[in-house]
Amino acid sequence: MRFLLRLLSPLLGLAVAAVGVLVLIEVITAWVAPGSSPLVVPWSDWQAALTTTTWSSSVVRTAAILVAVVGLLVLLVGLVARRHDVRLTDPVPEVTVTTSPRSLARAVGHEVRSHSDVVSASVVASGGKVVVKAGTLDEPDTVRQAVRERIDELFTRLPLARRPRVSVSVAATKGVK
Amino acid sequence: MSRRSRAAVARSTASDRTLVVLAGLVLLAAGVLVALLGQGVFGTYRAQRPLIDPEISSWISDNATAARWIAIAVGVALLVVGLIWAVRSLRPEPRPDVLLSDVPGSRLSVEHSAIAEAVRADAESITGVSRARVRLVGDERRPAMRMTLWLVEDADVRDVWAEVDGRVLARARRAFAVEAIPTAVRIELDAAASKTPRVL
Repeated sequence: MRFLLRLLSPLLGLAVAAVGVLVLIEVITAWVAPGSSPLVVPWSDWQAALTTTTWSSSVVRTAAILVAVVGLLVLLVGLVARRHDVRLTDPVPEVTVTTSPRSLARAVGHEVRSHSDVVSASVVASGGKVVVKAGTLDEPDTVRQAVRERIDELFTRLPLARRPRVSVSVAATKGVK
Repeated sequence: MSRRSRAAVARSTASDRTLVVLAGLVLLAAGVLVALLGQGVFGTYRAQRPLIDPEISSWISDNATAARWIAIAVGVALLVVGLIWAVRSLRPEPRPDVLLSDVPGSRLSVEHSAIAEAVRADAESITGVSRARVRLVGDERRPAMRMTLWLVEDADVRDVWAEVDGRVLARARRAFAVEAIPTAVRIELDAAASKTPRVL
């Protein structure tokens, strides 16, 4: 989403500037040389159309809904594109330490898969929550307990500023041990 | 001080986000208002009027010069705002040199790449760090450091920190003769493990 924001923001800026340029071109042309107006934008056709179209016409209402939907999407891009860094405790006051949710998930994943009782695992992590789904050939309940302990042990080693909530679900996988 | 190190974590997108959110709000509000107007919420009579109201067109033909100047002012304002917006958001984040002495005649500054390279080499020599990337952010007078460290699997984060602060940053502080360098450290955990095959 941050990538989309970095792409969208200059494009919107350029669009605003382009509208400004077109307004200037048309107004100055219509003033200085009325004969060659309209120059770029067929505004006289638009004007003729808009003086007859009413607010309640279906074209205007469809366009309005379209604009509102585009506005909502742009608004969402702006609101969602924030950083999701995971804070670690600061070792000294002038140093801030962060890691990415992906990197935290990778660390948890390695820890979970490091024992032979887990045959498969997927991890989704954010600063506030870590969700682990694992598959095992053993008794799921005991493995769940073991996985939880392993993650707890990892979090005591890893100096996270805020300990995320951990949810572990273990399912029995078919196969021969 | 801590605020400056936090600001160094990543380039700020605050202005981009504010502008994009504002643009979204303007579009949303305009769309919703026009749709409501068309539905007749603001009066059925108003909904039946044309988009370019006869009152407005008569005012424009009565005050042609004023209308032109207003249109020109709007065009200039849009152009300036749009260009500032685009340039600000396309401008790359500056890499400041570090100013050691500002005395006229003996101005001394260290180039960005020299510092970044030295600190990077230092950081990569830490046990447990497989790769490091260092750059300075901020301006020449108040620079801050951004450091990304890729740790190998089983590296102890606390040991790495101790080395970063005790050796790497201590050396940089001595070199610049400053009390503290605001630093944002981004850690990529277990990053080197992906190079080794998982299949046993």
